[in-house]
Amino acid sequence: MSLNKIKIQVNARNRSHNFEAALGEKLLDAGLSNAVNLPYECGSGTCGTCKARIISGKLKNLWPEAPGNKFVKPKKGEFLMCQCSAASDVVIEVGSFVPTMEAGACVPSSMTGIVSSTKQLTSDVMSVFIELEQPLDFDAGQFMLLKFPEVEGFRGWSMVNYEQKTKTLEFVIKKKPDGILSDQLFSKNCTGQEVELFGPLGSATFYSNLTKNILCIAGGSGIAGIMSILSRAEQDGYFTQYKGYVFFGVRTALDAFFLDELSKFKESSGDNLKIVIAFSEDSDAKDLQSKYPLLDFDEGFIHEVTERYMEGKFDKIRAYIAGPTPLVNGSIGMLLKSRVSTDDIRYDKFS
Amino acid sequence: MGWKKICATDDIPENSLKQFNVDGVDLMIANYGEGFKAFPPRCPHMEEPLCDSGLVFDGLLTCSKHLWQWDMKTGNMQGMAEKELLFYNIKVEGGDLLGDIDQELEYEEDEEDDDDDEVDFFSAD
Repeated sequence: MSLNKIKIQVNARNRSHNFEAALGEKLLDAGLSNAVNLPYECGSGTCGTCKARIISGKLKNLWPEAPGNKFVKPKKGEFLMCQCSAASDVVIEVGSFVPTMEAGACVPSSMTGIVSSTKQLTSDVMSVFIELEQPLDFDAGQFMLLKFPEVEGFRGWSMVNYEQKTKTLEFVIKKKPDGILSDQLFSKNCTGQEVELFGPLGSATFYSNLTKNILCIAGGSGIAGIMSILSRAEQDGYFTQYKGYVFFGVRTALDAFFLDELSKFKESSGDNLKIVIAFSEDSDAKDLQSKYPLLDFDEGFIHEVTERYMEGKFDKIRAYIAGPTPLVNGSIGMLLKSRVSTDDIRYDKFS
Repeated sequence: MGWKKICATDDIPENSLKQFNVDGVDLMIANYGEGFKAFPPRCPHMEEPLCDSGLVFDGLLTCSKHLWQWDMKTGNMQGMAEKELLFYNIKVEGGDLLGDIDQELEYEEDEEDDDDDEVDFFSAD
């Protein structure tokens, strides 16, 4: 073990991988930065997907209270790769297949940025724009882990925009009751704050060579990644050949946002794009309907509304789902029942 | 050893699954339309409780956590699955579902290291 670089060996079910990590660097970050596609979902200590087992060496647990620790058995040497760094050269074991990233993949890395502006979207949702030091490439539908000053740990947010080699990232942040970050962002002016970032991450990505119709199901701030997918599809003229169906669920008419932006997507894409906003609680959508004639408004839980609109249209579909876990699970069930193959269901459960 | 009653076949509607306890052994029963299958109640991937995450459609069992799937008729892995599901032997007799349930089926990694020795792999500082 040299002073700053630690040797990591990961034994996966298909092969082993060797790479180096810096002192204090999370094992998941070290692997991903070296294009080793270790298993993960949230990357922030919640989901338990990055569970691994120690074979030899010592680790440092950076967040022993991480909720995802309920999925690991320390007695058996298990730990979360997203919350542990190596304290010596280590050999670890991962119970799944681990490929290296394909050529051309956007390999994640650590970076810093500055909050350049914020924009209130509803009473509890805001857009946060971050200016990066270096331009970044990411795929439509990906997310970044962000750490704000005075807030412990990283959390994941999807990019709203899609541009290659961009220095500006837009995120949608929902206010959480009693959240330190929410207090900071919603009650103070955060412009100029320095933010640490790691990414891009996530596999719910869209590429214009897909050759399938796309179905996007989003709840609340989950619309962020879907906006990025629509942006890429629009830039590449995807909806001249393929259909797009977007279902955006919010609680009431007051909770809806991005309606101007969604209307613009519809305007430029024409009949091949259908966008439905659904309210889960009784809501008077008359005003919204007259203000946004290109969008459809409906009532009900989003996966039920989706099922109703999509009847007979589930063939040759790639589905993207983003939102709270019950929405994702309800939508997965609906899609499987509608004979959509698991190969065509993409989601990231990171919130 | 021997066949034990798990439930009546009518207890599990088509395309659904239900958890039972037979003499201290927890197990899931799936009715996949053409028949029934019995297996441990947790997904072999991350031990997700299948009573919450399991879905049965088109003869496939899916764990919605990471879309691991198994063909209920053949038992074969489908979709994202990387590990086999273990099955209990069952049979239908006069409207009842019987299982050859002697002891709990456990996945490989559950069997090892079941002692209480802590593995000390975290550095002190």
